[in-house]
Amino acid sequence: MSLQPNRLTSVGKKSVMYFFLVIFAFIFSFPFYYMFVLATVPGTKIFSYPPHLFFKDSLWTNVKALLDDIPFFVNFFNSAAIATISTVAVIFFCTMGGFALSKYDFKGKKAIFIFILSTMAIPPFLNIVPFFKMMVAFHWYGTWLPLIVPGMANAFGIFMMAQFTKDSIPAALLDAARIDGLTEFQILMKVAFPLSRAGIGVLGIITFINSWNNFLGALIMLPNTDKTTLPVALSKLFMQMDGDRGGLMAGTVLAVLPLMVVFIIFNKQIISGLTAGSVKG
Amino acid sequence: MRKKVISILTMFALSFSIFATGQQGESDPVPAFDPEKEYSLSFGGYGDLERAYKTIFESAEFKKALPNITFEYQMADFGGHHDRLTTVLAAGEATNDIEALEIGFIAKFVEGGGLTNLAAAPFNGIEEGKDIVPFAMSNATTAEGRLVAYPVDIAPAVLFYRKSLADAAGVSLDNLKSWDEYIEAGKKLTIDKDGDGVIDQFAMPHASEVAMMPLNGGKGGWFDEDNNPLQPKQKFMDSLDLVKKIREAGIDGDLGAWSGPWIQAFADGTVASIVNGAWWGGALKAWVASDLAGDWRVAPLPGGLYASQGGTYLSIPQQVPLENKAAAWEVIKYLTTTSHAQLSTFEQIDAYPALTTVYDDDIMNEDVPYFGGQKIRQLYADVANNIPSAKVSEYDAVVLAIFNNAVTDVLVNGSSSEDAYNKALNEIRAIVD
Amino acid sequence: MLNRSQKWAPYLFLSPFFILFLVFGVFPIGYSITISLFKWTVSGPQEFRGIGNYVKLLTTDPFFVGSLWTTFLLLIFGSLLQHFFAIPLAILLNNKSLKGGDSFRLLYFLPYITSSVVIALIFSQMFDHNYGWLNYIIENVFGGEKVKWLQDPRAIRSSIAIMVNWRFIGWNTIIYMAGLQSIDQSLYEAAEIDGASGLRKHLHITVPLLLPIIFFAVSLSIIGGMQLFEEPFVLMRGYEQMGGPNNAGLTSAYYLLATGFSFNRFGKASAIAWILFVIILGMTWINKMVTDKLQK
Repeated sequence: MSLQPNRLTSVGKKSVMYFFLVIFAFIFSFPFYYMFVLATVPGTKIFSYPPHLFFKDSLWTNVKALLDDIPFFVNFFNSAAIATISTVAVIFFCTMGGFALSKYDFKGKKAIFIFILSTMAIPPFLNIVPFFKMMVAFHWYGTWLPLIVPGMANAFGIFMMAQFTKDSIPAALLDAARIDGLTEFQILMKVAFPLSRAGIGVLGIITFINSWNNFLGALIMLPNTDKTTLPVALSKLFMQMDGDRGGLMAGTVLAVLPLMVVFIIFNKQIISGLTAGSVKG
Repeated sequence: MRKKVISILTMFALSFSIFATGQQGESDPVPAFDPEKEYSLSFGGYGDLERAYKTIFESAEFKKALPNITFEYQMADFGGHHDRLTTVLAAGEATNDIEALEIGFIAKFVEGGGLTNLAAAPFNGIEEGKDIVPFAMSNATTAEGRLVAYPVDIAPAVLFYRKSLADAAGVSLDNLKSWDEYIEAGKKLTIDKDGDGVIDQFAMPHASEVAMMPLNGGKGGWFDEDNNPLQPKQKFMDSLDLVKKIREAGIDGDLGAWSGPWIQAFADGTVASIVNGAWWGGALKAWVASDLAGDWRVAPLPGGLYASQGGTYLSIPQQVPLENKAAAWEVIKYLTTTSHAQLSTFEQIDAYPALTTVYDDDIMNEDVPYFGGQKIRQLYADVANNIPSAKVSEYDAVVLAIFNNAVTDVLVNGSSSEDAYNKALNEIRAIVD
Repeated sequence: MLNRSQKWAPYLFLSPFFILFLVFGVFPIGYSITISLFKWTVSGPQEFRGIGNYVKLLTTDPFFVGSLWTTFLLLIFGSLLQHFFAIPLAILLNNKSLKGGDSFRLLYFLPYITSSVVIALIFSQMFDHNYGWLNYIIENVFGGEKVKWLQDPRAIRSSIAIMVNWRFIGWNTIIYMAGLQSIDQSLYEAAEIDGASGLRKHLHITVPLLLPIIFFAVSLSIIGGMQLFEEPFVLMRGYEQMGGPNNAGLTSAYYLLATGFSFNRFGKASAIAWILFVIILGMTWINKMVTDKLQK
């Protein structure tokens, strides 16, 4: 069941292909590797030139410095909880909206699609000022709500799921489900969600990462060190006069591990989309 | 008709403020501070400030003076902190009772709004701050005499150099009468040590680092009394000419600030000197060139120039609850006008005191072994006392950005100083409104 | 005939978006449009300007029009170019006979989760013209002359484009990978029976079927590219200078942020935002037209 059986038969072609894949993999992943190296370098040697390219032995010192400087586990929990809740909510609401846009015919569909797309084109940079004003008026300042609720059914996710469900859910299957007496909501839950796994995988990865890395939002909405997220807590370690960035680098690496785990989990969904896609074949 | 549209829009615009509850004006009376009462204050700042101030707030001296105040901190990196503060103030809100500000960010608040006027009663900040170094006070004061923030630390600019390299080249950098003298000495400091045909020792890391020295360190002074930008012209031409001369003399290493090679250059002998703020001495000693103890020296800037390279201010946002304002002011006063707090901050994070009375303290007269036993802190004090007061304006940030581009025009594009100056002037004229 | 629930379901499914938009979107948008008509500083409205901010930006402002040009160039060579890498890469990685596909996918995605602090450190190391890795390779491997990556106005844009490509190729690859999952395998088998070559097969089967996803990914690139600021901001020292020599690194979004957060002109910054909005809308519309045409 390979896509191109005849192309990959020749060993020569294959090795050329792997050669390039490996070169590019190196280019793309080197800074990531370097990040891990820096976490093991003594804190004042981060800027050293020539740069340290291999692991050193200060990881434990750096982790200890990190744990002394910030309430790491508290911040980690805050970040993880906000990102997880956001991701679950976004997957639910955006798949629902995207499914509606791609698989139903209804009055105003085109206008709604264009409207949703247009809201994405508004540069978001300055909206933080009126948004912050609103959050204070709502008494949401200092809670997680501003970081979760407004983005739950966002234009990006709906647009994306509309495009992904276009081809992955066959119309015939929906009709069959209706004949079987399923309600529209049951169809959403039992047909649309399972068949959208590839798209959901991508949406989950992107939402989780963006929520985790939402620096300015968390900085502005969350009042102090114990309430804030990991990236914000780490940022205060950046300007130390004594030049010791060990804690910062250790924290940076620890902050990225959950993102890798999330990628691996959702990546499985993307690929397992294959079997789901074959339903229509 | 037009008027009507405008008034409707203005109404709409002003209605945004109804979102905020209990907006307070300038004139609302601040209740007196009650030492018996319990206050809980929040502090917003960046980098090392939490460490420095926490130490003070937990000290016995502070607890004796202000026993009933507890603190929370909202900290971030430098850029993040100022973006947050700008957002909060632009929204007409306040989230912390005390907010730190770097000098470069003050200008935009100087024109009014956002921050409490500390010159007014009951703060009487000008009176209370009579021992604070004058240029720092004037940098936070508007044309109408509003004082929007209070100086807590400063960074007098000096010339750091390596004694052994200067001796080897047979030059002295201690009392340079002019930048030309510096450049002449610099030529002798710029050499090919290992004889491989490539220069490997430079007088300074990057020519652009001196651009702000004739210009008060770039902190204010961009407009003259009649609000004309970049006047008097000669002052700004001097800056561009100086940068150009240094580059043409070939004595700078063209090293980008804070890159790995730039930092390494201070430890491995690639550069012999640098112009920087007083705090740089702490960085050299602590980690940049900790192995070179006894070799680095400090000298005043060439040609009798005095400049500031940054500094921290403390402010109270306008929308802070009135009760907290009273307590916040007590804390700010403690941090800025007691020798305990000023010296403690200096020891903790090398932030040089803004309070002139501590310059006579024993600590400030100590020999500093890292700098070969020099009394560097007295030298800093001398610079601090002589930095001229400069007028700040709301356009300082944009003018600084434009002028920095003029500096790169001279350095990178080889523009003449005249052309770069005129281009910058035209850009500034087009952009001010 | 649609039954009733089938008629109402799509509105119900889309209602969360509209509720959230009404609650959280309308006020900021109204606010932003309004302040774009004023001279508006951190302390609020100073003076009514009408469309003055817009007119000035498009006529006498010394930086804005140039920043649009920079943005377009970076959009083409940074954000759009990468699709020509990402699509073939996704097809390649989707190949079942490829060993280690999972690992490659992860490795290619890493730029998106690498800390921006470390990225800034690495790229300044790479682009350093005295000691940088790129110039080392250019000098010693190709015998070329050192390039002043972050100083020469032309090189600055290349540096930014390189950084953008590096960061987002893997991201787009993942999106295309997911899109490929819904393509019916039997179509390829049929094509093979007809004797189609690999390249033709993809041009005639994969790309047309991937069009909805291409439209999506390209739309995102247009939006992201027209709002590009982080990479030039980091490489060009933020608010301290106007995007480097000849303003080569000053994108419109960079200028927008500086105008608002540093230069204290929120009204003018909002006007920039709305000009960008119109341009993005226009480009997205063209993208839609082209996609629709190709789909037929």
